[in-house]
Amino acid sequence: MIRQTPVLEITSADYNYGSVEVLDDITTTFGEGTITALIGPNGSGKTTLLRVLAGLLEPTNGAVRYRGTDATRRIGYLPQQPAFRPGFTVLETLQFYSSLVGAGEADARKRLEQVGLEDAAERPVEALSGGMTRLVGIAQATIGDPPVIVLDEPASGLDPGMSKHVFEIATDLASAGTAVLLSSHDLELVDRTADEVLILDDGRVVRHGPPGSIRAELGVESLRAVYENSVAAEEGTVRVQGVSS
Amino acid sequence: MEHESAQPASEQSPSTSHLLGTVIGRELRTVVRTRTFYLLTAALAAVVVGITWIGGGYAAGYLPTAVDLLTPLELLVPIVAVAFGYRAILADEQRGELDVLETYPISPRELVLGVYAGRAAGLVAAIAVPMVLAAVAIAVTDTDVLAIYATHTGADSPLLFARFFVLTVLFGLVVLAIALAISSLVSGTRSALGMSIVALVALLFGFDLAIVYGLTEGLIADDSLLYSLAMSPLSAYRGLVLETTVAVASGTGPQVASPIVSLFGFAAWTVGSLAVAIWSVGR
Repeated sequence: MIRQTPVLEITSADYNYGSVEVLDDITTTFGEGTITALIGPNGSGKTTLLRVLAGLLEPTNGAVRYRGTDATRRIGYLPQQPAFRPGFTVLETLQFYSSLVGAGEADARKRLEQVGLEDAAERPVEALSGGMTRLVGIAQATIGDPPVIVLDEPASGLDPGMSKHVFEIATDLASAGTAVLLSSHDLELVDRTADEVLILDDGRVVRHGPPGSIRAELGVESLRAVYENSVAAEEGTVRVQGVSS
Repeated sequence: MEHESAQPASEQSPSTSHLLGTVIGRELRTVVRTRTFYLLTAALAAVVVGITWIGGGYAAGYLPTAVDLLTPLELLVPIVAVAFGYRAILADEQRGELDVLETYPISPRELVLGVYAGRAAGLVAAIAVPMVLAAVAIAVTDTDVLAIYATHTGADSPLLFARFFVLTVLFGLVVLAIALAISSLVSGTRSALGMSIVALVALLFGFDLAIVYGLTEGLIADDSLLYSLAMSPLSAYRGLVLETTVAVASGTGPQVASPIVSLFGFAAWTVGSLAVAIWSVGR
């Protein structure tokens, strides 16, 4: 399915929180220069899968292997709710992270320009809006030019213009050869931007492939229709994993 | 189960000294920009200078002032040290920054040691300001001619006060390491406060009471009391001050502490607590 060289692969991975099985037998690869979007209902395991892929959680069974080049930072990560130490400006915050990969102020400024926040460089991080904080988080995730960048709901809570901007940044990163893994509920933007879509339901991958191929396979017009065909949970309900209905 | 994508050491990774410097710089900026730390320093200064004034330390000299300050500092230094450390790692964890840091080429050891060093610098300043103020006041107002070298019995000296200061700082650094361990183990501010209070009670009363209990029950032999005292940071601090500062000037008497063993006790608590913090951050 992946045409490009895989930089990250996950094989037969399960993840359990105690007795609750959150991920079940996940196997896939992520290619360089591609945007892979994880979509699925709330509670389907998207964040857990992204955290497993980012190396923050160890799978209960199975394996995650990095196949990319040697890099100072292998995987960049944007948490679902990014937050930064108060009392520091945006520039100081990014300078701190840049310094951890041996870079300096110029690198931090470059990252800010990349997300369009250069004018907020001297603003305290606690004075940023939710959207701006998320953009600083994306800038942070790109520090060190990691071959893989994991973005957990990068467009969550953003206005349509800002969401589009975030997906444009993801496209730029992929154009530069980065494997971008992101989760999103904005199916329209995912449809337009993602090279690969991975639909997760109840901890399992129920569909995986380029959006166009999946649409054609199901004979539907939109990714929303694919989504509705693929997930078992009824609209307006939240699937609680570990509880069978 | 395996994960081979976790951040490994790369040839291009910055050196440990660079990473430590980066984390220390961040902690120092945090300390300098946090008003609470100024308030703590000011409160400690008010108490130290106030006791020096009320106790007549200005006129009496360095050693009587050190004796006057010993008990209040036994109580206050742990509180200040805990305030400097109890949220140091927890706050990063609550914001999700520890997760983000895990994707950078910095090890839990480098992170914890950097945080400790940065906070330690702030704590040393918070202890130094009040004690330097007291020392300066004594130097200006004391009418006695002072011997610089406290090499013989009966001499008061600024060096004795400096020794007292160094031991107080070491005591504070031990408690800071314990606070950092607590900060890394808990997951919420309330539990951090709760565990800090438990740790303070154990430090200030619990260990001493345990030693008294051990003595009365015969669990601790009389001839091993000095070594048992060294296991409690507070008793070790008190013993070190009495043995190396007060006893020097007051003459002969029973040995109240084993300085070497007490310093070893300090080191064991510090290294042990930092090891717990490193393990906890890395798990």
